[in-house]
Amino acid sequence: MAVSRLTAAVCRQFQRVVTVSSHTQPQCATQAFSRFHLCQRRQTYDSWWFRSSMNNRALHTSCVRKGLEEFFDLPENWGEQTVKSGAPWTAKQLRVKSNEDLHKLWYVLLKEKNMLLTVEQEAKRQRLPMPSPERLKKVERSMKRLDTIVTEREDALRLLQTGQERGRPGEWRRNVFGKTFWYRFKEHPIPWYLNSRYKRRRFFEPSHVAPYTRLSLEKYLRSKMRKDKRQKRNQKRLAAMFPKKTALA
Amino acid sequence: MRLTALLSMAAKAAFPRDYRYGTNRPWTIAAQRLNPPGKKRRKVFVEPIANEDWHVLRGDTVEILSGKDKGKQGKVAQVFRRRSWVILEGLNTHYRYIGRSGDYRGTYIASEAPLLLKDVTLIDPTDRKPTDIEWRYTEEGERVRVSVRTGRIIPKPVYQRRDGIIPQQWKDGPKDTSPEDTLQKTYTPSLKTLEEEVMEKMNIQEDRRPRKSYWY
Repeated sequence: MAVSRLTAAVCRQFQRVVTVSSHTQPQCATQAFSRFHLCQRRQTYDSWWFRSSMNNRALHTSCVRKGLEEFFDLPENWGEQTVKSGAPWTAKQLRVKSNEDLHKLWYVLLKEKNMLLTVEQEAKRQRLPMPSPERLKKVERSMKRLDTIVTEREDALRLLQTGQERGRPGEWRRNVFGKTFWYRFKEHPIPWYLNSRYKRRRFFEPSHVAPYTRLSLEKYLRSKMRKDKRQKRNQKRLAAMFPKKTALA
Repeated sequence: MRLTALLSMAAKAAFPRDYRYGTNRPWTIAAQRLNPPGKKRRKVFVEPIANEDWHVLRGDTVEILSGKDKGKQGKVAQVFRRRSWVILEGLNTHYRYIGRSGDYRGTYIASEAPLLLKDVTLIDPTDRKPTDIEWRYTEEGERVRVSVRTGRIIPKPVYQRRDGIIPQQWKDGPKDTSPEDTLQKTYTPSLKTLEEEVMEKMNIQEDRRPRKSYWY
């Protein structure tokens, strides 16, 4: 059932997002079997699923699986000045979707983004305005929100299982200038004691730099104090300029 | 990561701290003419109003309390919260020529000037008189604007979207997901990451062991 859902989802064409629902049926896949050359491996593996009695509901989508044609819009939109497009996916709508759905949705959005970028480049080449450029923004926002949801889920799982707050390891270190910063670890094939370039990096402050850390801390505290005082002063001035009173009725 | 941050900084339009925002959008030629890079103008002080205390919305009918068109009622076309401005349709207008080229002096049109928030008040829909407004909660828990004088609720105004779409009359395109499919819940929480779940569903077996790497 999971596999049939996958093929059915691959069949469907999406713009905003994938319609990955559990009742999509792969009848489309059976009819389009001869044309479907991209996922042939999956087709031959799963073909016996499609003929079972439970998968007999009618499918109402059209599939675009024609290779390079996926880089172009639907033929009826060619030459139009504006193309109608729906709203982007919101984080709230994406949160109720399963991981598999999100995975499929990501690729649908990616293909749509590629198509829109092709349209944009072609419009630039022809020196014409791109039809409905807001579609690109919508797709980008949907993808960004999807990424947010996936990172949220990963963070939750990691916190639960290990208690680590960050996915990438790191630690607080002091650089040569005496500044403490969050050093993010990098992946290396050899340990640090064999890495001559890493050994040359200095994560400590030399003794002649030590007095300057205190001075820079004082400078920072002074500027913070000044900013707070300035903000309080401005708020007082605004309150004096605009005393609270009700509007005339 | 630093490269993307740099690119995003370059892409974002940067304005000086004392930039005077006007009715024109900052990227238009008119705004560039009014605010050339080297100019310095006197700072405008705006009454600080929290976002939740703002009571005039686009599409509301308001009455003007002071100015040229004092006492007239009009519909709000635009709201500038940062400067506490409200632009009404066809009121508080001054006249100017637009589209000048060569000898042709251009079309003579009326352009509206913005009004400050303290110079307008909302109108009670029932008796059409200006009132003071408060934000209160109904019995259901909804936050509504209530006129202080009469106690009647002022409904939220209906205003057309800028792209002309009316949500009730929207028809899905071939690439749009239907509302039922969008809201259908398919997520079951589990202790597997996205990658593990997808690999399970797609029957991908990863037998290779990752090579030992060092993080430092």
